[in-house]
Amino acid sequence: MTTYSIPSKQRTFLLAGIIIGVLSLVGSWVFDSQEFHMRFWTNFLHNSVFFTGIAFMAVMFYAICNTAWAGWHTQFKRVWEAMGMFLGVGLILMGIIALGVVFGWHHLYHWADTPSVEGDDLLQLKSAFLNKAWFLVSIALIGVWYLFAIKFRNRSIDEDRNGGFDYKHHLRTRWWTALFLPVAAYSISVVMWQWVMSIDAHWYSTMFAWYSGSSLFVSMIAFTIMLLIYLKDQGYYPNVSMEHFHDLGKFLFAFSIFWTYLWFSQYMLIWYANVGEETVYFKTRQDDYPLVFWATLAINFLLPFFILMRNDTKRKFGSLMFASIVVIFGHWLDFFQMIKPGAVHTAHELREGHGDAVGAIADHAGAHGEAVGQAVEHATSTFHMGYTIPGLWEVGTFIGFLSLFLWVFYAYLGKANLVAQNDPYLSESLHHHA
Amino acid sequence: MSATVSPIREPLIQGKKSYHDITVDLTRSTEQAPSKTWWIAFLISVSLLMFMIFCIIWTIWFGIGTWDLNRTIGWGWDITNFVWWVGIGHAGTLISAILLLFRQKWRTGVNRAAEAMTIFAVMCAGLFPVIHMGRIWLAIFIFPYPNTRGTLWPNFNSPLLWDVFAISTYFTVSVLFWYAGLVPDFATVRDRATGLRKKVYNFLCFGWTGAAKHWQRWEALSLVLAGIATPLVLSVHTIVSFDFATSIIPGWHTTIFPPYFVAGAIFSGFAMVLTLMLIARKVLNLEEYITLGHIESMNKVILATGTIVGVAYLTELFIAWYSGYVYEQFAFFNRALGPYYWSYFGMMFCNVISPQFFWFKKIRRSVWFTFLLSIVINIGMWFERFVIIATTLARDYLPSSWSYYVPTWVEVGIFIGTLGLFFTCFLLFTRVAPVVAIAEIKSILKVAGDQYVGVNTEHHKQVVEDFKKADSEGKAYAADHHNQESH
Amino acid sequence: MRKFNKEIVFGLYDDETDLLKAVKTANADHLDIYNVYTPFPVHGLDPLLGLEESRLHIAGFIYGLIGFLTAFLGMTWVFTKDWPIIFGGKPYWSVPAFIPITFELTVLFASVGMTITFYVINGLGFGVTNPILHDRITDDKFCIAFDTHEVSEGTAQSFFEATGASLVDIKNI
Repeated sequence: MTTYSIPSKQRTFLLAGIIIGVLSLVGSWVFDSQEFHMRFWTNFLHNSVFFTGIAFMAVMFYAICNTAWAGWHTQFKRVWEAMGMFLGVGLILMGIIALGVVFGWHHLYHWADTPSVEGDDLLQLKSAFLNKAWFLVSIALIGVWYLFAIKFRNRSIDEDRNGGFDYKHHLRTRWWTALFLPVAAYSISVVMWQWVMSIDAHWYSTMFAWYSGSSLFVSMIAFTIMLLIYLKDQGYYPNVSMEHFHDLGKFLFAFSIFWTYLWFSQYMLIWYANVGEETVYFKTRQDDYPLVFWATLAINFLLPFFILMRNDTKRKFGSLMFASIVVIFGHWLDFFQMIKPGAVHTAHELREGHGDAVGAIADHAGAHGEAVGQAVEHATSTFHMGYTIPGLWEVGTFIGFLSLFLWVFYAYLGKANLVAQNDPYLSESLHHHA
Repeated sequence: MSATVSPIREPLIQGKKSYHDITVDLTRSTEQAPSKTWWIAFLISVSLLMFMIFCIIWTIWFGIGTWDLNRTIGWGWDITNFVWWVGIGHAGTLISAILLLFRQKWRTGVNRAAEAMTIFAVMCAGLFPVIHMGRIWLAIFIFPYPNTRGTLWPNFNSPLLWDVFAISTYFTVSVLFWYAGLVPDFATVRDRATGLRKKVYNFLCFGWTGAAKHWQRWEALSLVLAGIATPLVLSVHTIVSFDFATSIIPGWHTTIFPPYFVAGAIFSGFAMVLTLMLIARKVLNLEEYITLGHIESMNKVILATGTIVGVAYLTELFIAWYSGYVYEQFAFFNRALGPYYWSYFGMMFCNVISPQFFWFKKIRRSVWFTFLLSIVINIGMWFERFVIIATTLARDYLPSSWSYYVPTWVEVGIFIGTLGLFFTCFLLFTRVAPVVAIAEIKSILKVAGDQYVGVNTEHHKQVVEDFKKADSEGKAYAADHHNQESH
Repeated sequence: MRKFNKEIVFGLYDDETDLLKAVKTANADHLDIYNVYTPFPVHGLDPLLGLEESRLHIAGFIYGLIGFLTAFLGMTWVFTKDWPIIFGGKPYWSVPAFIPITFELTVLFASVGMTITFYVINGLGFGVTNPILHDRITDDKFCIAFDTHEVSEGTAQSFFEATGASLVDIKNI
């Protein structure tokens, strides 16, 4: 039985990464030049959402493949099962954010600040959804996902031991995976609104959850490619062939384009209709965060598009690895630009005197909120490390979370056979031809 | 001789068919004289088509005033029908392109008919914007061409012009894709025919021989066309949704429209494919090629896309409230509880609730229930477009101009007539071309034919045994070795 | 009228596995195959026949690029040079608004160009009549054909016999 065991060198490596992450978090806490430890909390939220979301997408894609009778992925489905296990850690990480919301440790969310809400019609209206109780619900949803992920994984591992040619395990899992899909589809929308969209508390976009979800999906595929290349390099998964990588490469390519499609649709519609409440979001990003804003588009669209357009680049480790690394960084950057500007703005508003300024503008602008003029008032420099572009603490924090993610992944991967031996699709996966 | 197929897959071709059986079964509809049922259906369809032509002439002769559009509700049944038909036209390319890329083998049973349906649906759709122009003889102005008005160009920034490009491109590419698939099958028909029929089919099949190099290029062409048809199919309904979403009409301007329209289009497209194929498989005796397994798979797609559409409806509704924008809130209040509440609840019931029946395997595999639900969903998706278009316009910013809209007989006639056009084309298609793709069915026979289930299961077990043996010895499983043995 | 200038000896097989085996035998015996005809694309055949991967997709890319440039540069020229008009307060050069049409024309050019190329290089098209060796090739028979100038009739006959062809015939095309 082939199982994975973490080499001690890798253990040290990941531990070092986690220490770098912790140090970076401490650093961003201590050396933050702004109030409320905003830099620490945004970094914490940014990476927690990113990696929890990737784990969620692994479970979701696993469920999709299962319900769609896909067979090609069977050999390495343990990789997704192990990735899904990070949801347990994600629950803790996002739980810390939630405790922060409840006890007022941070000021990430404008709506969590009572004085601001009192002086703001819009936030008062939204307080029926943007409140502490709902935030806790959104955290509880991670728990629900986690339970599903455990269920899938346990059944799959049990199939190794007790599965037979009647495939009872698989058929029953298919029922659970089908049930998970609507649960996932509805809950991902709610949590993305709560965790990320509500940072820009006055702004709204119906597409937002799908857009950010597609970003996570692409990252998940990129992670899968990277991890499989690494595992193959270590001598595991000898039967995962170029055909499998070709398919994963197609997914990376196709969903990079899909992400761009959603990006464009959201951007273009807001640009075209030119409604102030909506355009302020992009106005802020274009004026104050031009590098990050345009870099995400270039990295997440142009690079994977041109790298992976040819057939042979989807069948070479070098180009696949390069595209995956680039795309993961690009989508991490995308989440940076979703989170940072709103949080910076909120911190700015609160520093200016707890909601008075907001209230005044809100009164002036009526029910539409204080959108007008919100954009550029706090702009200091367009290239301010840690605020308008990621700085060293941000990168360090990313390394820390990445190491933690990989640690959890390898730990769970090592606890079961690498290949699900009694899966009814195993033969198809072993003889996978494009 | 066996293929590597999971033992839990259901066979897709029943009746222990040989290659020759497949040829005979699938070319039969083009070789026999049409049945009485066919003639009756054809006459009804053609009559409806004639009525449509009459109504269109009526419209052009007397002007758009013969429709009950007014200053408040400028888009009514016309654009509703347009969007409805475009949506239906999405399943064909989805089945043949996206499912080809996803290697869903069951698509081979239905792709040909679905693609044909796409083309006819897009024809019906394209009709509406053109006659809606009123002065139809000026329709040529939508194309950018050097003209005598100092070369005045159309407005490239207008979503309505994007539509012109999107629909015409979609139509062209769908026809090319469909026809590329038809060429080898027309050759099959040719080689069974004699006399004039042989000449006609030789013309239609472009002189196809079946040479190895041709097949190789044919596959390359299909794959690349599938690859570019996939974003194309997304773009078409996306651009249709832009017609609404780029405006600042409350209820129209919302960023979720593009993916939500696409999901809805696939949803309605599959419903229409099912409606047609359930009849076609019965009338043309194709039950062994379009099995209950096919129907179940399509019902699953319907359930999935129905759920996506449901997520989108609720997202819209929620964000309308969440936006805090009173006009947006009112638009949704008006949709649900305004004068057109019946269409909103019709939409919700047909599109979100009715597909939930497909959670039950028995219902997914019941032909009658599927047929019934497919029609319910078709109606529901029509309601959706009516809700978005007419009911949103009926209550605009200015209460003094609020209005209510009921179509005239001309509008209803044109809509019913497009059904006639659609079915006329489809009925002719079943006479001229093989309704199921012959070559593609043959290429999956060894994998999905029911006579191979036993031997393939044995092969699967052998592969698993070998894998376990190799794995326990810490060696790689030799797939190549197995391949040689199995062929 | 077309000229008959080739004498073709061909054998029909009942199954694609027999065909693949026969092609392998022919390769081993260094028999130069004129062509292989099948009712559907047989996988694993192309490498045996030494067919290079089709370059059709490269042609498609070039056509697509032409479409992309035509649309984007065309609209740019029209709205910045030829007849600039402000629509809805947007700048003359409204890139986001150009993207839908640019995309559509890219796809249109690529697919139309590629399809035409496909028919032209295959010698297929309206009114083309290619010689058909046997009526069952588009039905259920798999055919290997030899040109008698390359492979003598006798050699071919014994090859077909050895590899289990169900029918052997000669035809002038």
